[in-house]
Amino acid sequence: MSPRLFFQIVSLEARTKFSYRVDFWVNAVLSFGVELMVAFYLWTAIFEASGSTSIGGRDIQQTILYYVTVLLVGRFAGGRDFEGTVQSDIYEGGLNRYLVLPFAYRPYKYAQSLGKLVPVVVQVILFGAIAIPLLGLASQVHLTFASVAMTLAAMLVANLLFFLMQFPLQVTAFWADNVWSLLVAQRLLGQIFGGLMLPLSVFPGWGQRLLEVLPWRFFFDFPARVLLGEIGVREWGLGMLLAIGWCGVFAAIGQAIWKRGLHQYTGIGI
Amino acid sequence: MIEAEGLTKTFVVHKKAPGLMGSVRSLFVREKVEKHAVRAVSFRVDEGEIVGLVGANGAGKTTLVKMLAGIIHPTSGEARVLGYRPWERNNEFRSRIALIMGQKAQLWWDLPAADGFLLLKEIYRIPDADYRTRLAELVRMLEVEKELNVQVRRLSLGERMKMELIATLLHQPRVVYLDEPTIGLDLTAQRAIRDFLLAYRERHRPAMILTSHYMEDIERLCERIMIIREGEIVYDGQLADVKRTYATHKIITAHLRREDGGFEVSEDLLARGAVLSEEEGTLRYEVPREEVTQAAAAVLENCGVYDLSIDEMDIGTIIERIFKGRGE
Repeated sequence: MSPRLFFQIVSLEARTKFSYRVDFWVNAVLSFGVELMVAFYLWTAIFEASGSTSIGGRDIQQTILYYVTVLLVGRFAGGRDFEGTVQSDIYEGGLNRYLVLPFAYRPYKYAQSLGKLVPVVVQVILFGAIAIPLLGLASQVHLTFASVAMTLAAMLVANLLFFLMQFPLQVTAFWADNVWSLLVAQRLLGQIFGGLMLPLSVFPGWGQRLLEVLPWRFFFDFPARVLLGEIGVREWGLGMLLAIGWCGVFAAIGQAIWKRGLHQYTGIGI
Repeated sequence: MIEAEGLTKTFVVHKKAPGLMGSVRSLFVREKVEKHAVRAVSFRVDEGEIVGLVGANGAGKTTLVKMLAGIIHPTSGEARVLGYRPWERNNEFRSRIALIMGQKAQLWWDLPAADGFLLLKEIYRIPDADYRTRLAELVRMLEVEKELNVQVRRLSLGERMKMELIATLLHQPRVVYLDEPTIGLDLTAQRAIRDFLLAYRERHRPAMILTSHYMEDIERLCERIMIIREGEIVYDGQLADVKRTYATHKIITAHLRREDGGFEVSEDLLARGAVLSEEEGTLRYEVPREEVTQAAAAVLENCGVYDLSIDEMDIGTIIERIFKGRGE
């Protein structure tokens, strides 16, 4: 697929998403707001109940800042709008439309998922600009050009990795009509072992070492810590290499399942 | 342009017993059943031909089209479209074919059709000048200038189908599959689409396969038809020959003088043919072609007729009989 076509698909999808104004604002205000409030009160209560000043090496302010950051950068990897789209194309026969077009389906879907991310970028900037000062966390954020650039790269790789991990699960719809349970399981694993539900620093040492090499931390924990300046350039480089390696593994798995699945495809209806 | 040889598609479907127990049992054991959708079909379609593929629901029309468009793999057999095996999905092949599915929207629902066309321009790598010329031609032929910048979901069904046609033909495909292109449209829109397809065929000479349940589509657009029944092609020939081959009977319609319409159907009339209907002073009577002269004379003699006509059976009825296996 040519870069020009790729970016045109991104643009088309972004325009489509922006046409749903209510959805945009509900997502921007309600979804972010509720998640943040839950995190804020939950961690405040945990700190009060435990009586300790530090959990997993972070004090309450640092924990909340970590959570806000994870929440914001995690949106890039979340790809909620992508979840289920390949599965429904297969299940409902929408795939027919793409199979007759002279392009590869997977890059097309990835371009679509990136396009759907554009309104999320706007939401994240809007929400971050409001939430961080409102919670009194602004003084703890020290952004540099390098940390922002490294975070952007980490988020892009996180987004690609999320897509490539979801794709093989979704194309199992060629055999099993409904694969929602797999997608939910994948999302939960990502949230638990990726650092969205709780910082990875609260896991025991051996667990942290294991999670370091597994793919999930690249969705949330890795980009958030890069933005917060907790990860140096060398560690960032190694992390990026590992994440790209995982991308290669899942891309190969996805391609193999896709090719086999197409032989099974019935196109719905006789 | 399109060649199929022994093309066969068999689906394996799961059978589930009805009711809650059936659902529970299907969690553990599933009965597999083979469904033969297309059986050893062979044919050829040349440049500029529009071939009507007709058959009842589930006869295998759409499955055949899907194989020829490269959407699904056949179970056995061979097909070549423009020299390519469709299911290998070569990009060069896909750049030269098009598929319109009347029951499935292909354009982007939330955007104006014009945006979708621009994306297709990029997908098919149509040069700027060609794109402008082709779009202008198609838009003029289908009279949709004013609707180009309206969101697709806000268009009427007829307008949407016209936009789908433009989207499908922008790259000037050499092979076009039209799967129920007029389904759900009103008569005016159906006529507009048919006129357009005829004009397009004249100008560009693609090979077209059309499936439709509307006999008017078939009669107006296709000189040749293939009738498919339970996955097999039971007739492949000129539409006009269907009448000669299968229309073994003619219909005599007699308007009777008596206002009550009642009359005695003589033994002689019953022996020659069958009364199809008799209502409001009009008798419709079906007789074998070779008996038609004597039967018409008998009707005139027995029934007090003030007007009489002798017609061929309409093509829809003939094909319906072939679908049901009564045409041989």
